[in-house]
Amino acid sequence: MATQDQIPPTRAERRQARRIRRFDNPWLNPKLLWGAGFLVGIIILGLVGRMLWDLELVFTGSSPLKLPPIGFENLRGQPGVLEHPLGTDGGGRDLLALIIIGAPNTLFVGLLASLIGMSIGIFLGFSAGFLGGRVDDVIRVGADVMITIPPLLILVVFQSAFGDVTLTMMALLIAGFVWQSPTRLIRAQVLSMKQSGYVQMAQLSGASTGHIMFREMLPNLVPYLFGSFIASVTTSIVTAVGLEVLGLGPQRIPTLGRTIYEAINAGALIQNLWWWWGLPTLLLGVIFIGLLLINLGLDEVSNPRLRRLS
Amino acid sequence: MNYRKTLLATSALALTIFSGAVLAQDVARENTVIFDLDRTIQDPENFNWMTPGTKRMHGAHQTMWEPLFILNYNTGELDPWLAMGFESNADSTEFTVTLRDGVEWSDGEAFNADDVVFTTNIALTNEDISSREASTIKAQVASVEKVDDLTARFTLNAPNPRFIVENFGVRIFGSFLIMPEHIWAGQDAATFTFNPPIGTGPYTFSSAASNRAIWDRNDDWWGAKTGFMDLPAPERVIFLESGGEESRAQLIASNQLDAAQNVTIGTFEAVQAQNPNVIAWHTDYPYAASDPCARQLEINTTVAPWDNANLRKAVANIIDRSQIVNVAYEGTTEASRTMFAQFGSMAPFIDAVVEAGHGLPASADVAAGQALIEGEGWARDGDYYTKDGETLSVDIHVNSASTEYTRTIDVIVEQLQRAGIDAKAVPVENGVFWGEVLPFGAYEMSYSWLSCGSVNEPWASMGRYTVKDVVAVGERSPGFNNTSRWDGPAAEAYSAIVDDIANRQLGDAEIPGLVAEAYQHLDAEMPFIPLVQAAKLLPMNTTYWTGWPTADNYYNHPFFWWNHTHQIIHNLEPAN
Amino acid sequence: MGRIPKAYLINRLVTLVLTILIAATIIWIIPRLSPVDPAEIALGRMAAGAGAVANSEEILAQLRANMGIDQPFLVQYFKYITGALVFDFGLSTAAFPTPVSTLIMNALPWTLGLMILSLLITFFIGNLLGALMVWDRSPKLVRVAIPVAMVFTSIPPILSGLLLMWIFAAKLQWFPLTGAYGLFVEPSWTWAFVQSVLHHGFLPALSIVIVTFGFWALGMRGLMIGVQGEDYVKLAEAKGLKPRYILYRYMIRNAILPQITAFALKIGLLIAGQVLVERIFAYNGMGKLLYDAILNQDFPVIQGVSYVIILITALSVFLVDLLYPFIDPRIRHEAG
Repeated sequence: MATQDQIPPTRAERRQARRIRRFDNPWLNPKLLWGAGFLVGIIILGLVGRMLWDLELVFTGSSPLKLPPIGFENLRGQPGVLEHPLGTDGGGRDLLALIIIGAPNTLFVGLLASLIGMSIGIFLGFSAGFLGGRVDDVIRVGADVMITIPPLLILVVFQSAFGDVTLTMMALLIAGFVWQSPTRLIRAQVLSMKQSGYVQMAQLSGASTGHIMFREMLPNLVPYLFGSFIASVTTSIVTAVGLEVLGLGPQRIPTLGRTIYEAINAGALIQNLWWWWGLPTLLLGVIFIGLLLINLGLDEVSNPRLRRLS
Repeated sequence: MNYRKTLLATSALALTIFSGAVLAQDVARENTVIFDLDRTIQDPENFNWMTPGTKRMHGAHQTMWEPLFILNYNTGELDPWLAMGFESNADSTEFTVTLRDGVEWSDGEAFNADDVVFTTNIALTNEDISSREASTIKAQVASVEKVDDLTARFTLNAPNPRFIVENFGVRIFGSFLIMPEHIWAGQDAATFTFNPPIGTGPYTFSSAASNRAIWDRNDDWWGAKTGFMDLPAPERVIFLESGGEESRAQLIASNQLDAAQNVTIGTFEAVQAQNPNVIAWHTDYPYAASDPCARQLEINTTVAPWDNANLRKAVANIIDRSQIVNVAYEGTTEASRTMFAQFGSMAPFIDAVVEAGHGLPASADVAAGQALIEGEGWARDGDYYTKDGETLSVDIHVNSASTEYTRTIDVIVEQLQRAGIDAKAVPVENGVFWGEVLPFGAYEMSYSWLSCGSVNEPWASMGRYTVKDVVAVGERSPGFNNTSRWDGPAAEAYSAIVDDIANRQLGDAEIPGLVAEAYQHLDAEMPFIPLVQAAKLLPMNTTYWTGWPTADNYYNHPFFWWNHTHQIIHNLEPAN
Repeated sequence: MGRIPKAYLINRLVTLVLTILIAATIIWIIPRLSPVDPAEIALGRMAAGAGAVANSEEILAQLRANMGIDQPFLVQYFKYITGALVFDFGLSTAAFPTPVSTLIMNALPWTLGLMILSLLITFFIGNLLGALMVWDRSPKLVRVAIPVAMVFTSIPPILSGLLLMWIFAAKLQWFPLTGAYGLFVEPSWTWAFVQSVLHHGFLPALSIVIVTFGFWALGMRGLMIGVQGEDYVKLAEAKGLKPRYILYRYMIRNAILPQITAFALKIGLLIAGQVLVERIFAYNGMGKLLYDAILNQDFPVIQGVSYVIILITALSVFLVDLLYPFIDPRIRHEAG
């Protein structure tokens, strides 16, 4: 007892103590921080990059064609240069400029589509679960219908009908396909919560529907919502990239998927232009790892059993 | 315990999968020539070429169905094939075609004028078929009659010196294919599937699936029997679908294809690095062969400010064709000097135009262009020209189906922007481009290849811009002609000369002079601006077969999805 | 195991029929919202290849008659719905006069055979890996390796397909580069044919498996975490049952249930989503058929293929909803 207090804490013990302190705040777990860090990094890349790098280089013909990143040589024996540190593509566009604009664009589409989809999902899920009856039936059938329709069809037809889509337009279209999961999830939760004690108490004490929804139920749903949000962002980005790689996304606005599409169509693999498809893929990987880590981190927040000390 | 079972099952499966599935092949690879097919054969059971779909170019009209004549792009002459020759009357309203003696269908029946008359009558009478060649026959032919077994006479609705070339000479892509009367008689031409198909060619149909068609040599071919030509060397011809540029490159690099469809220069060089036996049309830059549909920029002459001919000329001066060649095509094509496709057979007309001073330079003269703009009262205010508060701007529509097109327009947009015109590219989807934008004039400027047509005489292209095809914006331009709606006294003068050329016989010595005279109006008014030649870089593999058509061995052009491929196949020799 | 309550069954059947009807109507309407006329597209295709087209007006009229689009909308709709019930979708316009059902029957085996197979493989591998990520008896290496492998989810399937093609088909030549079966093989129930199909289908399937197993793994992980803390697991451990036994019979078997619903839902998405993999391997399945049809504005084929997809998905959902309580007795059939 007394003797313990007098011995200065060892390194290991201090580390332990720090971890315990962190343990108290589940939001500071390393996975969440790293994940958020990756995504924030992409955003910073976009903001800072715009200021420091010449974005005119993102237009066709602005740079020499097919230069490799600095330190490498391409099939024709040309070395990478400092003016284009990440190389150029087959149309004479600088890769660094493409990434500075494209990576945040991809993230933006995912976040926007997900936000819209989640909002619709929350609204419909609550309505279905809470109001029940006809409303529930209509929403349920609506969700089922949307699930069965192939998104490819809708999106290709939109593209051909309205020409080039903007990023926002694409996000809206994708949102139309990500709201079903949150709706089902929230509906199921609302249904089970409706039976629970505290809600019945609130109803007995005359609380309004709005109060019950937002003050009683919503706070309990937050962990599910968060997880669902991250999942929708991932799905949205996958859908968006899938469409862009088909050539269906915005054609004048650089995005990671579009760059990969152009690389594939120009035979980048056989010409060994690995930087052209490799760097956007790497950035996509970073975005996904970030989302994955946030997902795992959020699990730790909502499920204490997963937290570890070391 | 469970592990062993799973391990056993997995290895059994792996063995199955890994032991390559090359099965009974009765014809060796070195006796087979494999061509690339760039689309799916949607219905492998249907061989009715008069209805839409991939019914001909998967080997049917390259190996099984022969044309009457084949146009030689090098000499401009018609090589006789199933027909020996033709005669026309003085005003080109009657054509008498003489067929070759001894031609047989692969089932032994004779091929003769009965088949020609029968097939032509299908085109004239059947309302439900829809094919380009059939509808051209319907538009041009009033009647056809059999003179004797080897002679057929066509009577036309209007004089057309080009009748034979256009319909029976494989001018572009295909020809009006004659079908066997003894099989087609009594069938509804719109729904008949013609399966199993027969033809007069040296190959017969063997099998087909959605991704390939296989044709085997018929050693009983009439051509060898009558001494017309030896049997072709390949015993088997296969058309195989590739899955895009990467797949195509890998296939030809690994010798699983002998001739591939269009690839970009970078891919071609990479393929050559892996497989030095792969060659192209030229042995060095530009490598590619010219395609008949030269690229141009179409301008809507009814929309201000581009209704002013001087502004159009200004844009023509600002466009740098060699930069388009270098950036959009990476050097694999040539700048256009005139509206025509630059084949040997077009040389007399191109030379006449250039000598008269109306040829287009490959590089730009931006200063001259800007002078023209300023001469119209525009002044440069910052980045762009303005006049009366309006900025000089233009939207250029482009078909988004290929990066060749979009990249060309991107380069042009850059050039115009730098010169002071606020240009913007508007990519549209292929269907919308051909269905909405072009024919209805729904554009200010548009990428196109609407001069396409002339390969051995000038009228096919020039005749597409006469005043008789002018309609209002919002109405369909007939036959995709004059979508720029060029009208006015210069256009009328041009049309008068072109109408004169229309009725002259092929080879008339006065035509080049007339072409130059008509061209001065085109040059003055510029309803469209020729850009570059369309190029097709087709890799050909000499590992198993030599004798491919090249610039040095120019027996005809290399587009092996066309009807003239019979010539290519007859020229192939085994590589060893 | 009780019987299915009648009210529930009727409710679900009504939902099924309604879903199919509404979805089918929507997919009928949507291509017609595009401003372009399919007859114009067909004409444009003729012109694009070769220059001027004579008689355009006549050809257009003919094409419109063939395509049936000269009829009033309601007539077209009625024909479509009544036809769909008997799987008669009319004649394709891009490959006139081939019936749409023929085109679908040609493509369907490839889609069902290969894609369902790859979905099954992904399902098993993904869920197993997801479970292993959470099980505390997994080797540390496995637990770390799996999240790393999940990064592959970020790669678009076409890229994984091209890379696999490049490495295994072009360089190593272990697998073929194109096609669904060998050049000289005819479709038949012979061992040679089956082997050819497996050989050709391996790379396309693998390219899809690599990029999609991550989703299943992640989902399974979440469910496993929930299951781990359940009382019955603790009881099983206390009883001294072997850990692997607990993993399979108690944990995975309970956690996997929501994944089965998800499986049913995914089938429809899968078909349209594999378009590019089908394209680069010249693997002519339904995805490619749909995509080509959309670009060619081939309405009958678009309607036919979409209808089949809708039908398959709706039926799977229906069946799963019906059979679920038999798999998991904790859930009861609740009408609505």
